[in-house]
Amino acid sequence: MTVAGLSGVTKRHGETVVLDDVSLGFTENRIHGLLGRNGAGKTTIMQILTGQNFETSGKVEVFGEHPYENDRVLRDVCFIKESQKYPDMFAVHHALTAASLLYENWDAEFAAELVEEFALPPKRRIKKLSRGQMSAVGVIIGLASRAKLTFFDEPYLGLDAVARHRFYELLLADYAEHPRTIVLSTHLIDEISDLLEHVTLVDKGRVLLDGDSDELRASAVTVTGPARSVAEFAADHTELHREQLGGFLRVTLSGAIPERSPEDLHVEPVSLQQLVVRTTQQATGERGFVGAAHERGTRS
Amino acid sequence: MRRLLNVSRIQLVNLPVVLGLPLLVLGLVLLANLAIFAVINDSARASEPVNGAVVSFYFVLLSVHLQTMTQIFPFAAGLNVTRRTFFGATTLVVLGQSLAYGILLTLLRLVESGTGGWGMGLRFFGLPFLVQHNPLLQLLVYTAPLLLMSFIGVWIGIVFKRWGQPGIYTIVIGAGLLAVAFAFLVTWQQQWASVARFFVEQPSLALLFAYPFALAAVFAGAGYVTIRRAVP
Repeated sequence: MTVAGLSGVTKRHGETVVLDDVSLGFTENRIHGLLGRNGAGKTTIMQILTGQNFETSGKVEVFGEHPYENDRVLRDVCFIKESQKYPDMFAVHHALTAASLLYENWDAEFAAELVEEFALPPKRRIKKLSRGQMSAVGVIIGLASRAKLTFFDEPYLGLDAVARHRFYELLLADYAEHPRTIVLSTHLIDEISDLLEHVTLVDKGRVLLDGDSDELRASAVTVTGPARSVAEFAADHTELHREQLGGFLRVTLSGAIPERSPEDLHVEPVSLQQLVVRTTQQATGERGFVGAAHERGTRS
Repeated sequence: MRRLLNVSRIQLVNLPVVLGLPLLVLGLVLLANLAIFAVINDSARASEPVNGAVVSFYFVLLSVHLQTMTQIFPFAAGLNVTRRTFFGATTLVVLGQSLAYGILLTLLRLVESGTGGWGMGLRFFGLPFLVQHNPLLQLLVYTAPLLLMSFIGVWIGIVFKRWGQPGIYTIVIGAGLLAVAFAFLVTWQQQWASVARFFVEQPSLALLFAYPFALAAVFAGAGYVTIRRAVP
């Protein structure tokens, strides 16, 4: 069941098109990845789904209703972002108390455990925390709120690699016990690719990929080997990317792993990160080409 | 309704600062005044010293609620509190706080008159034009301007959240222009006498309760309209 979705949503900011006819859906009780480069429109998508920003046109639905100014919907939604603001006079425990008042499923015990886990000083003012500690406050609120729909928008700024991995572990463990819909927006794709059950890739306000991560991983392969035989093999497939090193060639090809391939070639499934990078690069290339063709067309 | 109350409680999570800061300012101003009047020697003192320092209390309230909007609103909105709910919760807090402070000021005025002006004839709370003989009316007269100042603070805070610095400049310049236009008009029409008469002839209850209360409602309405499209 789709918990939150956009269909044909466009968002314009003056002349700039931030989202261009975006359709996507987040399914109940799954971990979704919302991936894309900086400025791709990830944050805008989450802001619109949480009623903090406004679509120019299109249909927005969360729990079957439009989220703007809708308490029935928003009380079950938690949106943790890197830029979350805290009142200057709030200490860590104030922010947690405030969050406990907002979220019905708030687990105070779990929150207290997390405060210890991330070694946060509960009485220190948030303003005085380090960047990483401040991110930890957001992470704790996001986890302990146990909202039916939780967005994490790059929540890890300033957290070191160890703390980030601890966050992923805690998220996965808590998700296993309390299934809910979680949307992770990040560009540290390699770090979280094992967590994601579904992936949506956006670029320049458009959806490039949308599917189960297993299917997506199976949708492309990398083929490595002597340049000539790789090139021959690749000729029958859609090529996403090519890189040459001396006599060796590595190509990323669209499609499942072929049942048979020449013995001198090394064929392996693509990683999520590679797929995202290649797909984005290819889209950029095509757009450039289409743009140029269009320009020629108008001139004549 | 429960959510409204919970969001009100968020604004009071840091209770000592929200409710205590204005009281601290009030206490300090009162103490400073008592100290000053105690050292001024008797001959230099007016027969019954009157002091307008209590006004500072009203301005502290304005700044407290300006910060409700610039500090707590972005936090709450970030956690998906709707603008409408946040505004409703703020209204509850403002009403409760103004009424509580109104009661406090009324009581302090009673103490002041009971102790002969803190033992030195000082009129800090019982400003001549403020004094009502009915305690209930006295309460209204203290409370209505508190409401007004709070809602002015709320509205300015929302304008800042929605339009930033340019919004604030627009308010300041706009208010200045209105004042100049008013002064120009009255001077040109030679109507200063009737302006003065208006204020003198109005019953003090209208000036100190009815008008501030009505204006508070206007600012509250303006705040509600302005917050609907504010992006935290």
